[in-house]
Amino acid sequence: MVAMQRRDFVKRVGLGALAFTVGGTEVMLTPSQAYAQGVPYKVLTAEEAKTLNAVCETLLPGAQRAGVTHFVDHQLAVPADQSFLMARVANVQPPFINIYRGGLGAINRSAQAMHGKRFEELDAKTQYTFIDAMRQNKIEGWAGPPGPFIYFLMRHDAVDVVYGTVEGIESLGTPYMAHIAPPTRWEA
Amino acid sequence: MSADKVDLLIVGAGASGSLYAAVLAKAGKKVLILEQGPDWKHADMVSNEIWGRRLKGGAPVTLEGKDKMGYGYNSGYGSGGSAAHYFAMFPRMLPSDFNMKSAHGRGLDWPMSYAELAPYYDRVAQDIGISGDAKAEERWRPPGQAYPMPPLPTFRHGDVWLKGFDALGIKTARATVGINSREFKGRPACVYDGWCNAGCPTGALANPQSTYLKEAREAGAVLKNGCTVTRVLTNAKGDRVTGVEYYDEKKQKQVQEASVVLIAAFVSQAPRLLLNSANDKHPNGLSNKNGLVGRYLMAHTGSTIWGMFDEPDVQNYMGTLAPMHWSYDRYAKTSRKNAFGSTLWHCSPAIKPNDIGGIANARNDLFGQPLADFIKKASKQLARLQAFCEELPDADNRVDLDTSRKDEFGLPMARMTHTYDADAMGLWQAGVDEGLEIAKAAGAKDYWAIRGAPTIHMAGGTAMGKSAADSVCDGYGRTHEIGNLFLSGASVFPTEGAVNPTYTIYAVSLRGAEHMVKNWASIAA
Repeated sequence: MVAMQRRDFVKRVGLGALAFTVGGTEVMLTPSQAYAQGVPYKVLTAEEAKTLNAVCETLLPGAQRAGVTHFVDHQLAVPADQSFLMARVANVQPPFINIYRGGLGAINRSAQAMHGKRFEELDAKTQYTFIDAMRQNKIEGWAGPPGPFIYFLMRHDAVDVVYGTVEGIESLGTPYMAHIAPPTRWEA
Repeated sequence: MSADKVDLLIVGAGASGSLYAAVLAKAGKKVLILEQGPDWKHADMVSNEIWGRRLKGGAPVTLEGKDKMGYGYNSGYGSGGSAAHYFAMFPRMLPSDFNMKSAHGRGLDWPMSYAELAPYYDRVAQDIGISGDAKAEERWRPPGQAYPMPPLPTFRHGDVWLKGFDALGIKTARATVGINSREFKGRPACVYDGWCNAGCPTGALANPQSTYLKEAREAGAVLKNGCTVTRVLTNAKGDRVTGVEYYDEKKQKQVQEASVVLIAAFVSQAPRLLLNSANDKHPNGLSNKNGLVGRYLMAHTGSTIWGMFDEPDVQNYMGTLAPMHWSYDRYAKTSRKNAFGSTLWHCSPAIKPNDIGGIANARNDLFGQPLADFIKKASKQLARLQAFCEELPDADNRVDLDTSRKDEFGLPMARMTHTYDADAMGLWQAGVDEGLEIAKAAGAKDYWAIRGAPTIHMAGGTAMGKSAADSVCDGYGRTHEIGNLFLSGASVFPTEGAVNPTYTIYAVSLRGAEHMVKNWASIAA
C-alpha cells in the first residue's frame, strides 16, 4: 500500500469555459453559466434543448444546472473529430446531431402517444417511469434510434457534466490529481 | 507531384509504426510516417476522461454482426495511435499460443515459436521500461531476463481480491506493466493518479510519445500528420510497390515514392488499404490472391465483476489503468470444461466516475437519485475484477469494404463484421461464474457481473503465417505477393491469446524491423 499523496491540486475550473456569442460579442462562459444566462443554442433547437434538459435531469439530478444542454450543443457544433461526446467513442456515425434529434423526437412522440404531452411537460414521477421503460426497450410503438442506446448516450452526457469534472470528482470527496488541468476553453 | 523518394514509408504512427521508424531511422534510412490524425504531444494529454476522447476514434467504419467491434474506444486517432491512450498492461503471450493448430487442431499457428519471440519481449522491456516480477511470472512461462524495474505498488482496491483468489486456489503475481515504478532513462516514476486513459503526459507510461516515436524523430524520421493514405501503388508488373497516394493536411492529393512501404494502420484500416489498392494485376486487392485479407478479426470478451467492499476507503481513485495483480492459472487452452481457449484474470484499475470504464457504467441500470447515491458510495468502496477471454480466429469475422459508404476522398469505408462463437461465449460465462465465486470469497458486501460480453482489443485481418496459401504475410510482416510491401501491428496476429496486444506488437515489430535492416539490400532492391 502506498499512502495517497494529495498533490497537484488544481483550481476549480469546472467544465471549463466555452466561447458563446452574446449580443454579437464572443464571451467565455462555462456551460453552467451559459445555461443560467439563457445563451442561444448553436445546433439544438430551443424545443430540443428543453427535452434534452428534462431527460438528462431525470437521468442524473444536477445535469441541468451543470449545463448539459450547452455542453452537448457546443460539442455538436464542432467537427466530429474534435467532439468530446460519448457518441464518438460509441461508434455513432457523424453528424452526431442526427442521433440526438432522432432520440429526442422518438421520446416526444412516445410521450405524446402515452400521455398527450411532451416529455418535459410530464411530472417527475412519470418522467422517471418513462425513462425506465425506454432503457429496457419497453415502450410500445417506439420509432427512432433504439431506446436503450439513447439512454446510454444521454446518461453519459449527464454523468460527464456532473461528475467528469474537477468539481464533480472533488464533490465525491476524492482528489482530482491532474497532471494537466482541463483548460479553460473546451475547444480542441 | 511526387516528393523526394524515401527509403521507408510507414502508414500510421501508432505503437508499431513508431517502433519501425525508430529502428530504421537509427540504421540510417530515410523514413517518412504518414498519420491521419493530429500530432498529439504530451501537453495535449489533459487529465480528464472527456478530453481523452480526442485520442480515440479515427476513420469512420461500418460495424456489423451480433457482437460489434468496440472500434471507437479501442482505436487511436493521431500520433501514438491507440497506444496514446492505452493502459500499458503488458502480459506476454505464452508458448501454447503459438502452435494452437498443431497442438489442438484449433485456430491458426504463428510462423514463429515463443522461444523465437522471447528475446524480443526481453529487449522491449529494456528499451521502453517495464515494471514487473519476471520470477513470479515464470510460474507460467519459460525463464527470461529480469524486468528493469520492480512491480508497481498496490492499493487496497486491488489487494481486496487476493483473499478470493486464494480461496479458489488461483495463484497470482504482480502485474507486468509499461509504467515506471521508479525513474527510468530520465522519465519519472508514476504518481498513480489513474489518468492513463486520457494519455500520460509525464513520461511515466511508455506511450510512443515517450519512447519509440520520440526516438524515431530524434534519429531523423519525419512524421506528417493530417495525411490520409488512400492507395498503395505498384509498378506495371504488379510485383513491387512504388509508393503511396495520399491526401495531405490541405486535402490535396499527393504521391509519395518509397523503396519499401509498411502498413501499420491497425486492424480496420490495414485490410481496407490493401483492398482499396486493387489494380489490374491485383484485382482482389494487394496480397489477396487467397482472399484472406480482412479475415480472422478477433476481440477479447471481458468477464467483468464489480464488488462493493464494506470499508471506509479502498482508494479506488488511486493506481493506474493497468492491473495490480493477475493470474495465468486459467490460461491453458483446455482450462474450462465446455469452452476452448485461454483466460487471464486481472484486477484492479483506478476508477473515475465517468466514461466507459467509470463508476456510472458499473451499474448501467441505475439512473436518477439512485445513480447519484451509487456513485457517491462507489467512489470509496468499489473495486473491479476482470477476465480477458480468448476468441479464436474465424474467417467469417472480417474487415471488407462497405461500398455503400465512401469517405471524403471517395473511397469505400471499412466494414467490420464480428460475432462471438460458442467457445468465446463459453469462456466468458465461465469467467463470470468463477469471478462471482472469487468476489464472494473475497468478502465483497455486494458483487455482480456485467451482462453481455464486450469486445475489448482488436486483432487480425492481415494474418501472418508460414505459407502463402493460408496467410497474408510472413513472420516478418512481408506480404507473400509483393516483396517490398510489409504489414505490422495487431492486424498481423493469427491468434490473440487472452492478453492485451501491445507488448506482443512491440516484440513482433522489433523482430520485423531488425530483419528489415539486416536484409535491406534484398528487400529494397
